[in-house]
Amino acid sequence: MAEDVLHTAGIVAVAWAVTFGLRSLPFLLFAGRGRDVPPSVERFGSIISPVIIAGLIVYSYSALEWRTAWPYIAGVLVVVLQVWRRNALLSIIAGTVVYMCLLSAGCASNDYGDIVLDAAHPSIRYSAQGFLIGERYVDPRRVPSILKSYDVPTDRVIHILVDEESERDLKPARAFMGLLAHNGYRRSVLVTKKRAESHVRTEEEMALERQQHHAPSPRHASPSGKRQIRYKGASD
Amino acid sequence: MLRQFLQIAQFERRAILRRAFVNSLPVLMGYTTMGFAAGVLLSVKGGVSCAPAWSFVIAAMLVSGTMSFAIVPAMAASESFFAVALLTLGINFRYALYGFSMLAKWKGIPVVQKWFLVHSLADEIYALDLACTIKDPLKNRLYCLFNHAFCVGYWVLGSVSGSIAGSALPIPSRGIEFAMVALFLVIFTDQMKGFFRHHG
Repeated sequence: MAEDVLHTAGIVAVAWAVTFGLRSLPFLLFAGRGRDVPPSVERFGSIISPVIIAGLIVYSYSALEWRTAWPYIAGVLVVVLQVWRRNALLSIIAGTVVYMCLLSAGCASNDYGDIVLDAAHPSIRYSAQGFLIGERYVDPRRVPSILKSYDVPTDRVIHILVDEESERDLKPARAFMGLLAHNGYRRSVLVTKKRAESHVRTEEEMALERQQHHAPSPRHASPSGKRQIRYKGASD
Repeated sequence: MLRQFLQIAQFERRAILRRAFVNSLPVLMGYTTMGFAAGVLLSVKGGVSCAPAWSFVIAAMLVSGTMSFAIVPAMAASESFFAVALLTLGINFRYALYGFSMLAKWKGIPVVQKWFLVHSLADEIYALDLACTIKDPLKNRLYCLFNHAFCVGYWVLGSVSGSIAGSALPIPSRGIEFAMVALFLVIFTDQMKGFFRHHG
């Protein structure tokens, strides 16, 4: 935890250093001489900054439900409002509220299928190419919110399967566990493939599985207090 | 250090203070609401304990609306310092251009005051500095100092109250991360409008 605070403080410090460096750049370059922006610098700035912002828009869309149409609808709304009313605050608030309403109205869904977290068949996988839920690659930063949307309780042990070729470099996997812990899921465990295959299912787990096969809707049927193994998405 | 300002008559100092405050009122509206949104975002998505304290530090140190949003996912994911530096460079590159128009105006002022002015040279604050028509360099500097202090205050106030609200109240948070994308879209739209006005 202490390390986390230090790292977060480091992030803020780095952001400040770069910001302050940029702001003081002209004063350092032209110390003592009062003058205007050289036209070449001004032209460079006016071209480069829309390019940077465009890149940021693409990058930040990846954190949204970008496989659905909803973030784009909200995005168009923001641009249209901004062209029409020229009120940045109005555009931002309206776009965000519309997007949030679309999401919570169930228009966008997590289609990751069922999530299994036990040691024998963990759905979450760490491979050399990145993190997967089931067969789909996922931005690791989104995993905590996905788990939350599947109603996975924070005290659940979360097994993460490590692919054989990635066993040597566990640093990203550990960072991922830190990220989970950051969001309340403190009990995550790395499992190697060998360990997962040799896992013998306990009586309790088999009983639960059998029970779930018969239950009409496992998500609602799981009695509180018992260990839930399979998690269904809200969209199913 | 601030003693220089005693050369200005008291009623004039008050007039400058009032003028700086009145001119900064539109920014009061914008900064408190945007700061509030950034504070809520940090408290629900930042993955930090004691979000209000972090909000205060970020608001007071960065004085940058876009960066206050963009730093939240970086904090949640414990991003590397290098990635954060690149991100900041991309987002805040425009600040490197603002100082050029202030070179002449802020020539030869005491280093602490200059630090504060440069530290808080954000978009709206810069625009207000530029719009100031006071010719006398000393009075102009006093106006700029008041202006920066007011605006930074609004930003900090908005951010901290947002993160307090976000950690205390059950604010629906799913999808709130769209606010940052919307901010980028607004900036981009305005840039495009300016671009076509000049070149098209």
